[in-house]
Amino acid sequence: MKSFFWENLRIALAELWGHKTRSILTGTGIVIGIIAVSLMSTLINGVDGLFEESMKFLGRGNLYVEKWPWMGGGDDWWTLRNRPRIELDMADEIKERSQYALVVAAERGRSANLSYKDLSAENIYIHGVTANYPEVSTVDVEFGRFFTDSEDRTGSPVVLLGSEVAKTLFPHENPIDKMIFAGSKRFRVIGVLAEMGQFMGSFSNDTQVIIPLETFNKIFHGPWGRRSITVKVPEHLVEEAKEELRGVVRVLRGLKPGEPDNFAINQQNAFRESYQGIKMAIGGTGMIITALSLLVGGIGIANIMFVSVKERTREIGVRKALGATSSQIQGQFLIEAMVITASGGLVGLIISTLISLAISKFLFPATMSFGVAFMAIALSAVVGLFAGLAPARKGAKLDPIEALRYE
Amino acid sequence: MLLIQVKDLYKIYQMGNTEVRALDGVSLSIEQNEYLSIMGPSGSGKSTLMNLLGCLDTPTSGEFFMDGINVATMGDDELAHIRNKKIGFVFQTFNLLPKSTSLRNVELPLIYNGEIKAHDRRDMAIKALTRVNLGDRVNHKPNELSGGQRQRVAVARALVNNPAIILADEPTGNLDSKTGEEIMALFDELHKQGNTIILVTHEEHIAAHASRVVRLLDGKIAVDEPTHRGKK
Ligand SMILES: Nc1ncnc2c1ncn2[C@@H]1O[C@H](COP(=O)(O)OP(=O)(O)OP(=O)(O)O)[C@@H](O)[C@H]1O
Ligand SMILES: [Mg+2]
Repeated sequence: MKSFFWENLRIALAELWGHKTRSILTGTGIVIGIIAVSLMSTLINGVDGLFEESMKFLGRGNLYVEKWPWMGGGDDWWTLRNRPRIELDMADEIKERSQYALVVAAERGRSANLSYKDLSAENIYIHGVTANYPEVSTVDVEFGRFFTDSEDRTGSPVVLLGSEVAKTLFPHENPIDKMIFAGSKRFRVIGVLAEMGQFMGSFSNDTQVIIPLETFNKIFHGPWGRRSITVKVPEHLVEEAKEELRGVVRVLRGLKPGEPDNFAINQQNAFRESYQGIKMAIGGTGMIITALSLLVGGIGIANIMFVSVKERTREIGVRKALGATSSQIQGQFLIEAMVITASGGLVGLIISTLISLAISKFLFPATMSFGVAFMAIALSAVVGLFAGLAPARKGAKLDPIEALRYE
Repeated sequence: MLLIQVKDLYKIYQMGNTEVRALDGVSLSIEQNEYLSIMGPSGSGKSTLMNLLGCLDTPTSGEFFMDGINVATMGDDELAHIRNKKIGFVFQTFNLLPKSTSLRNVELPLIYNGEIKAHDRRDMAIKALTRVNLGDRVNHKPNELSGGQRQRVAVARALVNNPAIILADEPTGNLDSKTGEEIMALFDELHKQGNTIILVTHEEHIAAHASRVVRLLDGKIAVDEPTHRGKK
């Protein structure tokens, strides 16, 4: 019995080779379906990677005490707008009162224009952070060093440049120890950050500069800009820590029981949840495209197989007269249908591999997993099986005498 | 030795209200190595009888023993098996697979045998083609062969599995008389080598190659007698 598989495979290949154009047209639906499914999962993989990469900046165990919640909130915009701004000197109190807090860092930020000699960089995000900031985020200093605690406390005019900023202001020079201007204030460059890429595909850490928080406070007065206290807690205790932190901040702010929170405690979960939504949307769309093209492709194949059975009625008669059983004839046409779809699947896979290589090269890292490839081929073979079933049955049931007489 | 025994064979087609008795009580015994021709006017039931003897069809009623086995009650798969192992067909219209070479065509019965290795199949097919003098046309496709050569490929295909009987329904019907005679010479040769041959023909001089002739009329056997050659 096993030898019939190879025999039928051989017949199928010869038949498909004999009708090249027809086979290609028939398989196209499957090709598209397989491209859709494998690219979709490759894309999701790639976007996942990007997302996780971005999430590294927001550590899993980090809680951010801020005025605005990251992802909507129960309250309306005016209520949120009227909240008092975050007092960054709460940081020390939080560190003292919270059992869970490992590190408490504070930061502010706003945009400003920078210049060095006749070169300038506009709209650069100035990030004022405490000296322990590297403990709560990913700070990769490529040249030079980060500032010290005492530089922070004394408000030293030192700055670390993001890689893009460094390239703009110092295209041909070593930036270390050069003096740059932010407005009228002079800063000494003490370090350059490594290239980091984009956060969530938009805001880039490469176009920021980092200065000590106290220095920031000295120069930029007024209420504008972002303020945030980052509380690093053990990752596995993050939910308990969040509750405790809420209590601590409420006490520090003197809120009475029953009064609503006038601050937000943010964490990367907020991003995670909305990202899951986006991912489901991408996946869902991909699934619908895949299902539709496989369905349409399958119907096309069933149709062509019916034509093929009809055309080859006499051949079926001859094979039966020479001793082929119905199940052997059925197997022959089933395998033919599956060869069409499996080849379609293979072609689709090759095309989507090329596309994902292109995506990797030009957009973001995206690799197709072996599992996806395997699933794509299996899926297309299954489509072939279903599409071929009815036509193969029809061929198998033909009466040999009638079939031999067929003109 | 008795090869085929048929008793009271009926094949009745119900066409609306009328019934067509394609075979109307046929009884027949055929010995091993017989050379039998079946004659009769058009519509007398010759092809119907051949199809039954070839296990392509099942009778409405009656008994049919081949090699002592009752074939009349067999299912489709068993019949396919018998066709594969015991019967070789030669058709009026050749019925070769048009896209396959002579070799592939002749190999077909061996493929469905399922027990013969690819290498042996090839050898056996080449041997059969050599027997019909087509050893040099192994890789030709049907449209690269003459009508007579095509029918010789068909004969090679019929004898490649060494069947108990070779059944030929008007094997010379599509050939000119000279080529027809060549094919008949082939059958004579096969008969001499011990094969059992049953052929349907409209032509007396073709029927005269056989040693016995059965004449059908309206689905019944009208005459069953030795030919001139059979009497010798
Ligand atoms: N499938 C069928 N349905 C109905 N009637 C049929 C069928 N097959 C054969 N018959 C009838 O059975 C009778 C015998 O047919 P058969 O083909 O055996 O004749 P034949 O002797 O081979 O004729 P010819 O010499 O023309 O080939 C005919 O009357 C034919 O119409
Ligand atoms: Mg006939």
